[in-house]
Formats: sequence, C-alpha cells, structure tokens
Amino acid sequence: MVISRWRKGRRGSFALFVYPALLLVLFAFYAPFAMNAFYAFTSWNGIQRAATFNGLANFKELLADSDFLASAAFTLKYALAYIALSNALAILVAVALARDARFGNALRAALFVPYILSLVIVGFIWNFILGSGFQSLAASTGWSFFRVDWLGDRRFVFLTVVLVSVWQSLGFYVLIYHAGLQAIPEELDEAVMLDGAGPVTKFFRITLPMLASSITSGVFFSLAASIRVYDVIVSLTRGGPGRATASVTFDIYTEAFAHNRYGYGTAKSLALLLVALVIAVLQLRFFKGREVEA
Amino acid sequence: MKKSAQARLCLIEAAAFVLVAVFLLPVAVMAYNAFKPYSEIMSDILALPRHGTLENFVAVWTDMGVSKLFANNLIITSIGVAGIILFASMAGYKLSRARTRFSWALFLVFILPMIIPFQTIMITVLKLAKTCGLSNSVLGLAVQYWGFGIPLAVFLYHGFVKSIPIELEEAAMLDGVSDLQAYAKIVFPLMKPITFTVVIVDVMWIWNDYLLPLVMVNSSRTTRTLTLAVYAYFGQYVSNYGYAIAALITAVLPSVAFFLALQKWIVKGVTAGAVKG
Repeated sequence: MVISRWRKGRRGSFALFVYPALLLVLFAFYAPFAMNAFYAFTSWNGIQRAATFNGLANFKELLADSDFLASAAFTLKYALAYIALSNALAILVAVALARDARFGNALRAALFVPYILSLVIVGFIWNFILGSGFQSLAASTGWSFFRVDWLGDRRFVFLTVVLVSVWQSLGFYVLIYHAGLQAIPEELDEAVMLDGAGPVTKFFRITLPMLASSITSGVFFSLAASIRVYDVIVSLTRGGPGRATASVTFDIYTEAFAHNRYGYGTAKSLALLLVALVIAVLQLRFFKGREVEA
Repeated sequence: MKKSAQARLCLIEAAAFVLVAVFLLPVAVMAYNAFKPYSEIMSDILALPRHGTLENFVAVWTDMGVSKLFANNLIITSIGVAGIILFASMAGYKLSRARTRFSWALFLVFILPMIIPFQTIMITVLKLAKTCGLSNSVLGLAVQYWGFGIPLAVFLYHGFVKSIPIELEEAAMLDGVSDLQAYAKIVFPLMKPITFTVVIVDVMWIWNDYLLPLVMVNSSRTTRTLTLAVYAYFGQYVSNYGYAIAALITAVLPSVAFFLALQKWIVKGVTAGAVKG
C-alpha cells in the first residue's frame, strides 16, 4: 500500500523535476533549430527579405557535393584521432595527478587554462609559435623539426590541428575523469592493495572498469566536440591549405556566410545533425552496456 | 615499501611538472609580455621582461572601465550557474532513476543539443532572444545560459546518480518524506562531487564565453562583458600586445583562482559504506 502510493507520487513529481529543464532546452536549442530548419528547404541567401521555397533541391545537391563529402571525411578522421587521444591522455593524467595531494589541484587548474581561451587567442598563440617562434628556434638549434611548415604542409597540418585541439581541451577531460575517480569506493583500492597487485594490474582491473561511466561521458563529449569542430579550424588554418582541414561545420559556415547560400548551408547542418544523432545514440548504447553499476 | 612509494610519487610529480610546463609554454611566452614596456615588446617579443612594469595593466583597467565589467560578469555567471545547477540536477537525477523508455528518450532530447554547432543556429537564437526581450540585457543573457548549459550538466548528473545507492531515498520515502524533500536533503548533498565539477566547468565557460555575449550584449558599454572588452584589444591587427595580454590576464585570472579554490570539493563521496551489501 505504502509502496504503491509512493510510486504514484513519484510519477507525479517526474514532471516537476524534469519539465522546467526540458522547457529551457527546448527554448535554447530546439526552437531556434526548428526555425532555422525551415531555410533548408529554401534558396535563401541570408539577405533577401523573402525566402524562396525550393523543396528538396538543397538535399539533392548535397549528395553530389564533393566539398561536403570531403569535409565529412575530414571530420570523421579528425573525430577518431581526437576522441582516442584526448580520452587516453586525460585518463592517464587524471590517474597520475589523483595520487598527488600536494600539487594535483594546481596542476589540474594549469591544464584547464587553454580550455578557457577562445578561438581568437588560441589562433593568435599558435600562429605565433608555429610561425616566428619556430623560425627563431630553427635558427638557434638547426633542427629540421622546427623548419617544417606545420600549418601549410598538407602532410602535417592534420596532425597539427588534432594536437592543438587536444592541447586546448585536455584540462576539461582531466577534470571529468578526476571527478569519476572520486566515485570509486576506497575499499576497492585497499582490497586490491592487500592482494598485492601492482599499479598496472590495479589500473586495468579496478580503475578502468570503475571509470566506465566517466568514459561514456568523456567519449560522448569528445564526440560532440569533434562533430561541431569549428573554432580551432578557423583560428588555425581557415580550412587550408586548400581545403585540407575543412570540417563539416567549417563547410556549413562558409556556405552560409561566405557564399551567401544560407538555405543550402542550413540543409547541410540538418544532414549533419541527422548523422550525428545516429552516431551519438549508437555510442551511448554501446558504452551503456559496459558500465558497472554501484 | 613506503620509501619506494614516496620515491615513485616524487618521480611522478617531477614528470608532471615538466609536462605541465611544456604544456603551458605557449601561454607563458605570451603572458610575460604583459609585464614589458611597449619598446621591449617591439624589439623582441620572445625575450623575458628586463624592466618589469605594471603600466599595461593600469592603462587597460582605466580604459576598459574594469569595475563595471566585473559586475556584469559576476551577475551573468552567478545567475547562469545557479540556474543550471538547480534545473539540471533535478532533471538529471529523475531521468537517471526513472529507467523507462520514455526517460531514456527524454535524456537523448536533453543531450543531443551538445552536437549542434552554435554557429549554425546563432542567427535564429538572436531572433528569438530579441522577440522575448532577452537581448541587450545582462539579466537576459544570464538566463539564456540556463538552456545552453543544461545539456552537459544533465549528462553529468545522470551518470553520477547511478553511483548513489537508491536504498537511502527509498528508506526516507517509506518514512513519509516527499520526493522533493528526499532530493533536497539526501540526494543533492550526495551529489556534491559532480555539482562542484559542473560549477567549475560552467563558471569557467560562462565567465570566459565570447560568442553568445558578442551576439547578445556587445552593443553597449554598460552591458558588455569582460571577455568582450578584452577581445576588443585583439583585433585583426593587434596594435599593442602589452595591452591585449594584460587585459586577457585580468579577465582569465579570477576564473582560474576560482577553479583552484573550488576544486578541493571534488572529493570522494561519503556514500561508500552507507549501505551494506
């Protein structure tokens, strides 16, 4: 009796707990997105007063758009490299720093600094370092490493973009994994220590499995970040050399604002969202099945 | 045993310091230019300051009108973060506990916006804000952060709630405590580590955010934020690096100090051992 009444009460309060937040998100994202989606079926140029409806023409064009497909391929490659690197590095750093009671806090804060500098500053810093900074280093050391054109050479620019992205956001992922480490019960740590297991065994047998829910978060955040990667591209390479580092979002932005094809650009962003939605759901399902519950 | 553990810790610390130093080198090389007079910057931007000076800071502070900017940033950040915590912790908690198909679908609705690039909806976001009278206003900007910040916060709360034993709430509710009370008195305190994580991430984000303030409040000197004032110094052509970097340090430093102060609260929760079995 008591239980059933309690269950009922819980259902009633679901709305109270969830709907205010839901309304805010609908207002912030879904309403503007829906208003925007309308333009995907028009040939609006972003300036005209009235948008001309053109049905599915934008979507037909999109399937044969080699620039769009190339930028999709770049984004996929970027996503794989970025997700793997940033999460693996962040887990290692978080685990290493968690043991350091004296300086851990300061070092984690230091790692967070690049994350709060936005595109203008990041681009400014790295263009300077990779340009005149490396030039003077090349002159003084003579190392060919500093002579490489890290932003202008097609062979290296991908690596540069990925590394700068990881550099910029590492502190965020370290914080996520740090919080995750705090949810591991101390008894578990102690039990393994008593078993005489070494740090490597402990890492793979306890830490990593217990971090599963943080890994789900970390991978999802990095997936989301790489799907919308834009800032770092604009500030470092402007998609170049040629279109070597043009991501999908960069392509969308150029289409809408540089080519003045707002309608077509919106069609592209709708297509991106659909693909991203499928990938995100697959990722969450896949990782959810691997989590250990408390 | 103890000695070798200590030696290993020292080794890790040393390695960590070196790595972090390399990591921050690009920022540091820029940062110390704020303490150089104009002539020194112009002669060699890489050289360390020879005659350290604070004149760049003094000039920038008076020029920007720094107290108004700080007030705006404080209002926007505190209201923004408080709302995100309130709404997202409740929603994330309930969605995580409900475990139905409907709640999973709603969870997806909550988090999918994270893959939407802001630039692609920017124009209609502004249109909508104008219609609702939220643009050109400090408070209007603050409440807009609620919706933009909730997805990430809901995601984090949703994941964290799984590590809190449900038995605590069930026992309380069998004692006749309401849902809301159980949440406020039992669950919310237990979520402290993730709450502080969300607070840190969101304070750093909102305090230093550029694009949304640029679209919403850049038109007037009374509504603009610290970051907007700073970025005015970083144009396409930076005329005075000393000013630009001094302004940037002024804006960024308070949030880093906040990070340092709050981080110690992300600690092991007290749930371990609260429930047997």
